[in-house]
Amino acid sequence: MTREVQSIILLLVGIATLRISWGTAYLNFVKESMRPWLLLSGAILVLLGVWLLVDSLRGHPSQEEPEDEDESAGADASESHDHAGPRAAWLLLLPVLTIFLVAPPALGAYSASRDTTNSIATDRSMAPLPAGDPVPLYLSDYVTRAVWDEGRTLVGRSVALTGFVLDQSDGSWLLARLQLTCCAADAFASKVRPINLPSQGVPLTEGTWVTVTGMWVPSEEARSEETIPVLDVTGIEVVDAPTNPYD
Amino acid sequence: MTTEPTVARRPWKFGPLEILAVGAIVLVVAQPRLVGLFDHPALQAGATVFVSIIVQALPFLVLGVLLSAAIAAFVPREFWQRALPANRVAAVPVAGAAGLLLPGCECASVPVAGSLMARGVTPAAALAFLLSAPAINPIVLVSTFVAFPGQPQMVVARLVASFATAVIMGWLWLRFGRAKWLRMPERSHLQGGSPFHTFRLTASHDFLHAGGFLVVGGLAAAVMNVAMPTEWMESISGNPVLAVLGLALLAVVLSICSEADAFVAASFTSFSLTARLAFLVVGPMIDLKLMSMQVGIFGRAFAWRFAPATFVVAVIMSSLIGWWLLS
Repeated sequence: MTREVQSIILLLVGIATLRISWGTAYLNFVKESMRPWLLLSGAILVLLGVWLLVDSLRGHPSQEEPEDEDESAGADASESHDHAGPRAAWLLLLPVLTIFLVAPPALGAYSASRDTTNSIATDRSMAPLPAGDPVPLYLSDYVTRAVWDEGRTLVGRSVALTGFVLDQSDGSWLLARLQLTCCAADAFASKVRPINLPSQGVPLTEGTWVTVTGMWVPSEEARSEETIPVLDVTGIEVVDAPTNPYD
Repeated sequence: MTTEPTVARRPWKFGPLEILAVGAIVLVVAQPRLVGLFDHPALQAGATVFVSIIVQALPFLVLGVLLSAAIAAFVPREFWQRALPANRVAAVPVAGAAGLLLPGCECASVPVAGSLMARGVTPAAALAFLLSAPAINPIVLVSTFVAFPGQPQMVVARLVASFATAVIMGWLWLRFGRAKWLRMPERSHLQGGSPFHTFRLTASHDFLHAGGFLVVGGLAAAVMNVAMPTEWMESISGNPVLAVLGLALLAVVLSICSEADAFVAASFTSFSLTARLAFLVVGPMIDLKLMSMQVGIFGRAFAWRFAPATFVVAVIMSSLIGWWLLS
């Protein structure tokens, strides 16, 4: 692999990183707090790529690197010696191509349906809900308050929860939203069961984002990590997918 | 070293540069069709998880290669002889404890360890550092503390078990390791002229090299993440031995960044604390993306021996420490 190709790969990875972190696409993959680091590392990669390109165009230290013993390319005996350098670097084009060509969407119903744990047990006491009627809450916050604080802070309050529709095999649906700790590989789902839905309404397809307003009601289900709390619905509204799709 | 003529002066031929250009044009033209191929929800989820593993690891990888390049370019060889004890047996725990200082995840530590070896640090010490840095750095310990509220003994157990595993692996390497298994990172061709020149050559080379292998690991982890049936987890959580082994294997397969794994471990509530400790000790030391990067940086002969040995030692240490501190 020549210095030119190496520099182009560095540039492509850097540009792809800048591209997703410049706008909001990076929120499909990682937390908001990663943004400055992504911008910085994208810029560093572009800088390294330009530096290497200038080097090789000037023709100055461009003796090529000796062949690396890359296992990944071991079968590739046809490679001649002009393609020296870390051949594994070609693989870096894979995520770049995925970003530009596939533009992976945020995780949604498929991942949510695979996650059976709904909320992690906690014995922390819950702060009272902020003011507001209805008060907008994260789905995960509602689930924790409803299951592990037995709804104490929710009694008598109207809450507004935003999530997507997750179809159930019995024809009903759950309101779901995923939450990230670090990146989409560790996403877990929070789910709420809406009850007393208005009988005549637009049928909702799986994955549609909705804001559901309603009141907490106690459920008979024994509380466990898999308990799905209920929400007595007073209003439902189809909304645009939020900029940050995760809680 | 052979000095070949520069590309510019060579007669034109269809090389990688041209493949890159033609490939780019073809892909841009075919893009609308390609997106259609990824319509299946599992494929889409897999693509998202794959990209997110790479995106999440990227800043840490960049930090790691900048550090490793700085070590190669600006830190004189003699520094390591003074910083580490001359006795190699004593150097291992010192290097392991130095892992407390690198606030990154595992992707950063692989190139740094490679660079340390190339600068004359004894491999056993560099390997202890490789294993301990992602497991016991302050960010990881704080996130463990936050993820297990009311159970600070989890933080202590993670610190002790990870440090012990790293040191034992270092010592095992001293006793049984063969230099020929380890393909010492060859870097002479990256040294040239000024330190700044060495710096940018090393940084680019390490990024491209380690990054390529990170992609292999990320791809494998993404496939497992979306394709693995979730039911088997519940079926093994009751058996104490299977639970430990199951979560340890899951850590290998999921390849989660060590700064996030505590939160994932906390969610495996049907498993014993010892099993979850095994998840936290194994994950930062050996997982699919790390194995792939180790093959790339240190060679296959090394990785095939080192990875399983690390797994075994890590499982034993977490069982012992878990039995001692968590039961």
